Amino acid sequence: MRTLRNTLRVPVARGALAVLLLVALLAVFGGQLAPQDPLAQDTAHVLQGPSGAHLLGTDYLGRDVLSRLLSGTGLSVAGALEAVGAALVLGIVPGLASLWLGRVFEWTALRAVDALMALPFTLFAIAAVGVLGNGLHQAMLALGVLLAPLFFRVTRAAALGLRQVPYVEAAELMGASRSWVLRRHIWSKVLPTVAVTTAQALATSLLTVTSLTFLGLGVQPPAPTWGGMLASDLGFLAQQPWAPVLPGVLIMLTVGALHLLADALRDGGAADAVRPVRAAATAPVREEKADAAVAA
Amino acid sequence: MSAALPARIARAPKPLAQGLLTTATVFLLASVLTFGLGALSSANPGAAVLGDTATPADIARMNHQFGLDRPLPVQFLSWLGHALHGDLGRSWFTTVPVAQSVWQALPVDLSVAGLALLMAVLLGGAGGIAAALSNGGKVDRAVTAVCAVLGTLPAFVIAIGLIAVVSVQLGALPSGGYVPFGQDPVQWLRFSLLPAFALSLEAAAGIARQLRTSLVGALRENYVTGASMRGLSSRRVLFGHVLRNAAGPALTVLGMSVPMLIGGAVVTERIFNLPGIAQLALQAAQEHDVPVIQGTLLVTTSVVLIANLAVNAGLAALNPAARRGRRGAAASGDPVAISIPEGATA
Amino acid sequence: MPLSPPEQAPEVLAVEGLRITVNGGRTEAVRDVSFTVRAGESVGLVGESGSGKTLTCRSVLGVLPPGCAVAEGTARLGDTELTALDRRGWERLRGQRLGAVFQDPASYLNPSLTVGRQLAEPLRVRQGLSRSEARERAVQLLGAVGLHQPEEVFHRYPFELSGGMLQRVLIATAVAGDPELLVADEATTALDTVVQAEVLDLLAQLRAERGLALLLVSHDLAVVAEVCDRILVFYAGEVVEDGPTEQVLAAPAHPYTEALLRVASIGDWGRRELAVIPGRPPEAGEAPTGCRFADRCEYAAPQCRSDQPVPLRPAGEGRRTRCVRADDLALAGTGREEVTA
Repeated sequence: MRTLRNTLRVPVARGALAVLLLVALLAVFGGQLAPQDPLAQDTAHVLQGPSGAHLLGTDYLGRDVLSRLLSGTGLSVAGALEAVGAALVLGIVPGLASLWLGRVFEWTALRAVDALMALPFTLFAIAAVGVLGNGLHQAMLALGVLLAPLFFRVTRAAALGLRQVPYVEAAELMGASRSWVLRRHIWSKVLPTVAVTTAQALATSLLTVTSLTFLGLGVQPPAPTWGGMLASDLGFLAQQPWAPVLPGVLIMLTVGALHLLADALRDGGAADAVRPVRAAATAPVREEKADAAVAA
Repeated sequence: MSAALPARIARAPKPLAQGLLTTATVFLLASVLTFGLGALSSANPGAAVLGDTATPADIARMNHQFGLDRPLPVQFLSWLGHALHGDLGRSWFTTVPVAQSVWQALPVDLSVAGLALLMAVLLGGAGGIAAALSNGGKVDRAVTAVCAVLGTLPAFVIAIGLIAVVSVQLGALPSGGYVPFGQDPVQWLRFSLLPAFALSLEAAAGIARQLRTSLVGALRENYVTGASMRGLSSRRVLFGHVLRNAAGPALTVLGMSVPMLIGGAVVTERIFNLPGIAQLALQAAQEHDVPVIQGTLLVTTSVVLIANLAVNAGLAALNPAARRGRRGAAASGDPVAISIPEGATA
Repeated sequence: MPLSPPEQAPEVLAVEGLRITVNGGRTEAVRDVSFTVRAGESVGLVGESGSGKTLTCRSVLGVLPPGCAVAEGTARLGDTELTALDRRGWERLRGQRLGAVFQDPASYLNPSLTVGRQLAEPLRVRQGLSRSEARERAVQLLGAVGLHQPEEVFHRYPFELSGGMLQRVLIATAVAGDPELLVADEATTALDTVVQAEVLDLLAQLRAERGLALLLVSHDLAVVAEVCDRILVFYAGEVVEDGPTEQVLAAPAHPYTEALLRVASIGDWGRRELAVIPGRPPEAGEAPTGCRFADRCEYAAPQCRSDQPVPLRPAGEGRRTRCVRADDLALAGTGREEVTA
């Protein structure tokens, strides 16, 4: 794919991808890589600084910080992927459908998107956990629903712009079926835009997962997570003021890499397709009008 | 000679009324979502409240009291009807009216979020203007770098860092707690400063970035030359003319950060131990107290919607074309506007 | 017909040996430009785009684009040396002693403020008028530039007015401070012919009423010919001819002026062919040594291609030319049969 090739030519993008690959490896093999049992307590050696036995020191229960960091990666990453996966399905399908399924569906979908965007992220995820039971899956599904409007708008805007492009119009006039037009022309152009949004959404949901686990939601306490580690570090800031730096830096690196990748993807070819979306994001009222004009 | 005035100012299509209608629709849909989420609950409040010793009949009676044996649409309409009259039901467990709890928590959020908003505007505005004026220079690069870092740092990591440095190491400000503004404004400020600052940074970065971009564009416009050719000082041109035209997108960013400041501040509230809505919701979530969860969600959503209305009103005030019902004409210098020939010379 | 200025009226603008560089000083775009504008006089700078006329006029206004700078020479407005002005100096000058009108008037007005507010703002800030005084004066000015219902126009936004009306508004802002010099940079280019004629009439009228000096920049020789007492013809960053309008039109002293006249088809040429000047003007910094027009000139001779720049030299009373062969050639002006050497 051209966009991907363009993107990979940028050194920053390669760096970001390398970081993400590393995080992915940690997510899958982090548990095996951990030098010690992340749950093993050692009350004789609590809140210790880095040493030969514990490369990154120990926490308030004497557990090995490095091991907890490594084995905590999987859960955060899996949660974020789950949420974005749900958002992709829930956003793209109605986003494309809204262009062809008639005005009633279009109007309803647009209002629903507005409603979803007015709901505050973390609070909704917390509510979902509260109502549906304390599991990360519930929270991530809820988050996926809230992230779906991003993909809805992006897909819709890209496809909307494309529908007026002469060659798509020509294809439709020549009697090409809708699904053919969709596959052949629109899909290839929408995909880069979706890639950009996916990177951004992954960053957002990773932050939300960390927030939830920080609050003790979604996982049972002894299981290590980035957010959970931050929460327990907060109680011992006087003794170990540097402790939150470790999970903090890990979060920052991952989120930063995702942002950089999104930027690089945008510059690397999605730019044309993304531009109307950004305009829409900065002028919600106007986008609505444009929709109406197209619908009319 | 003369030039006749075109009599073609379109009558404004009441954008405010239109906005209100859209907002009402969105509110209704959001309330359906909120209620629907509650309805998905598998919780059996009767059993939970009454404990293990309750008989099935007692539980059924309790659930009847809660109104849970009615059909869902009836429950929804009754819930929404009461909510519109300020009654959000009662907590299943404490039986305290939800509206009362929310009413106590809301000022905390609004005052801290308000302070955060102010900080975001000041920091982001100053950063954006400074960056745009030094376009490509040292200040510009510094602001861009800071914004990039702030974009990846979640608010709660910043909050923890602030506590570690300002509260624990320096002992300058309290690390948590709250005093209402009405009770003691100075103490309120001492307790609100850190959380508001932690919350404001992400919004400030967004505003700075957006403002920089639109200012750099606006400063290249001919009307800037035009204004300075009239003898106006560059400061006057910047603040009276350019900023006004470049503020729109930044205002939109500001509007989008309102949900983040009010509802998304859960973790920050928790870290600083602020008795706000998010804490209320968190506690309710842990207890599966559905009415409280629904109430907090509905109120937060309403605040966000009101903020959006305010932002749209602000945008309309900035854009005379929208105010007079001619979308985007002002922004693009729409040549269509130049359609009426001048009158014959007299 | 252009008004004749009083012979020895005081000089309002005096430009001397102006040299302007672009690309941060690496390329020379304008060289050796000297001219004066006297009180009540109107001077036209004419030439193709890229000929340096707009850069010259912008340097007089202190609004050169980024990367462009006055490298040599002086420009005095009355007793003020313009090339030495700092930001504050320019702010004191503009609007008060110096007014300007540009092409595309809509873009030179703030789209989100009413034209009245934009007209009244400098009156309040610079002239210290009260809000109501400024308003009254602004309405008066809008009337003075020929706008009907000035009170109505006062409350209009730029997008609600036509191009011709906007140019009148811009002229009103330019003359609001009673400037000594009004600079009009392609001020009528985007307007249709009828409106263009009206705006030119307005400029002539304002000049007569207020005695202001006018510096008009245009690519259109016909426009300059209609309003200006004096014409400076620019080619490839140099002034190639300078003289009173009537004389330049009747008997150009430089082959480029002749070619321009032919293209503009002013007057009654017997055979109105679609005239073009062959070739293209050289890019800035790539002009040939010697006569810069030589490559496109039908009269070019070996002496035109020397390795020294051709000096601007006198060619009769109040006239100058940069043509090496000026004395040998009898060039065709308007209303005459074609005469070639």
